[in-house]
Amino acid sequence: MKLLIIEDEKALADNIRSYLSTNEVICEVAENYQEAVAKLNVYSYDVILLDIMLPDGNGLDVLHLLKAEQSEAGILIISAKNSLDDRVQGLELGADDYLTKPFHLSELNARLKAIYRRRKFQGFTEIKFNEISVDTNNHEVNIEGRQLELTVKEYELLLFFISNKSRVLTKQTIAEHLWGDNVDFLDSFDFVYQHIKNLRKKITAAGGNDYIKTIYGLGYKFHNN
Amino acid sequence: MRLITKATLLYLIITSLVFSIAGVVTYKTVMQSVARETDYSLRNNKDILKVAIQEGKPLFALQNEKTQIVKVTTIQAKDTLNAFSDTLAIHPYFKRLEPHRKLTITERINGEYYRFTMIDVFFETDDVSSGVTSVMTRLFFGLGLSLLVCSFLISSWLFQPFQKSLQKIKAFNLKNNEAITFSKTTTKEFNQLNGFITQMTDKARLDYISLKEFSENAAHEMQTPIAVAKGKLELLLESPNLQEAQLPLIQSAQIALSKLSRMGQSLSLLTKIENNEFTAKETTDFSKLVDQAVFTFKDIAELKNLTLESNVEANIILPINAAIADILVSNLLKNAIRYNVPDGWIKVKLDKKQLIVKNPGHPPKIPTNQLFERFRKSNQSGQSLGLGLAIVKKICEVNHLKVDYVFKEGIHCLIVKFPV
Repeated sequence: MKLLIIEDEKALADNIRSYLSTNEVICEVAENYQEAVAKLNVYSYDVILLDIMLPDGNGLDVLHLLKAEQSEAGILIISAKNSLDDRVQGLELGADDYLTKPFHLSELNARLKAIYRRRKFQGFTEIKFNEISVDTNNHEVNIEGRQLELTVKEYELLLFFISNKSRVLTKQTIAEHLWGDNVDFLDSFDFVYQHIKNLRKKITAAGGNDYIKTIYGLGYKFHNN
Repeated sequence: MRLITKATLLYLIITSLVFSIAGVVTYKTVMQSVARETDYSLRNNKDILKVAIQEGKPLFALQNEKTQIVKVTTIQAKDTLNAFSDTLAIHPYFKRLEPHRKLTITERINGEYYRFTMIDVFFETDDVSSGVTSVMTRLFFGLGLSLLVCSFLISSWLFQPFQKSLQKIKAFNLKNNEAITFSKTTTKEFNQLNGFITQMTDKARLDYISLKEFSENAAHEMQTPIAVAKGKLELLLESPNLQEAQLPLIQSAQIALSKLSRMGQSLSLLTKIENNEFTAKETTDFSKLVDQAVFTFKDIAELKNLTLESNVEANIILPINAAIADILVSNLLKNAIRYNVPDGWIKVKLDKKQLIVKNPGHPPKIPTNQLFERFRKSNQSGQSLGLGLAIVKKICEVNHLKVDYVFKEGIHCLIVKFPV
């Protein structure tokens, strides 16, 4: 996946690049509107991460430009403004998703991968992790042909884990991924454990391996032993 | 009391005092002149009698009830001087005691001494005082009446610019960002007043705008550094050779950052509500909205072992922005989940009149109405921001809803009353 990060805050761009850069993901950074336009004219990207507030222009202009050129790149907007108008405007202009600062890098990662899947394979895609295969089109999970009966939250949880495999996910990150802003008021995210426990049970009952490793007091890691 | 009424009353009181004193002074002056005139006429009469005695007229022919002449043999020096005094005597016509003026003097006529004792009735004192009173009263009422009429006529003309200024100040709203402009008046004081008001409101407007901009910018601008810090911590979590003891430190830092970020967002939301950025040009199906919120939070409530029951009347439509109504209901439910007891419950009831959210909980440590203030919370050390109910209150204020917090017999009860 080729990713262009258009973000004027260098430290934040560095964070994103360090976190996302793997063998599968190549990241490039543009720090302003001019640089972004220059890069977009020369290269093509799978997904573009776009900060709406840029020092030399509005990020939405980049969006206009991409639409005018009928670019096939997926677009994820990040903004410090949690305003409904910006969100609606961004999505109407053809952005795939909208994320408000501050975000968890794991959340960003999961969303970028989802956009990439939708764009690249038009949604018809099967994600495989060893014996576990997830059909993101029909929201079905199979382990060696046996279908798992998962609740919506358990399905989302598994997908989140696979998208962030081998990464540490805190309970807070998981809770906010599953319930969004609706849990931000809670003091403790220990209740995440119940969903983890159920997911674990269902996977092992279907003959799958338990890849969910508990990091005591902190969270979980989906890890290939 | 109106200023002009006050001034008129004050004038009337002062005038009545002045008139009373003037009445007394006038009375005294008139009485003095009368006494002087009477004394003059007594002296004159005595001189006429003296001439008559010199001419040899018999004494008895000269005497009457007002005049007595007696021959005396021994006299003292002071007896030869005019001695005037006031006395009471029978009035010849009215046959009753009236104040009279009396002259006593001893004169030497043809080598013999005669003592004259003469009285004359005063000009009627009753008449004088009633005359003075009636003049003063008429003057007073005449002046009072014209004062009243004039003051009301003049005041409406004189105070016109003041009334205009008052209306402008009344209509002034800091949030409209419109300057107050006064037209020039011919009264110096009003011009000064208008000048001060313009200065003050301009200052208030500028302060308000800069405060608004500051709080908006601060809330936005802090999100990027928070995002940076959070990302660094996440990268730290990924780094190898991390010791187990270090993990909780990272997590605490992450949670504190989340709290900071939420605080910024909540404060910016409060500012937006205050700025009327969510004006109710639309109506919202409150029933649907409450149902949806209950559905969303049922899951979270159950994770915390709380039962969430709802009794929602259908088709309750309110003139309120949907986004803001959602925040209102969500905050009430979040509050009920957060301040519950283990294995507790939450009851939501919506009807035409009100929305009620009830839950059992510990008694609040401060009066319930203070819990609507920013950063006021029952447990100051808790993780909560103390902004949830402040937001609820602000939303209700802006949308003309009434919100009440009642704690009774272990039950917290939040009631949002709808306008009838």
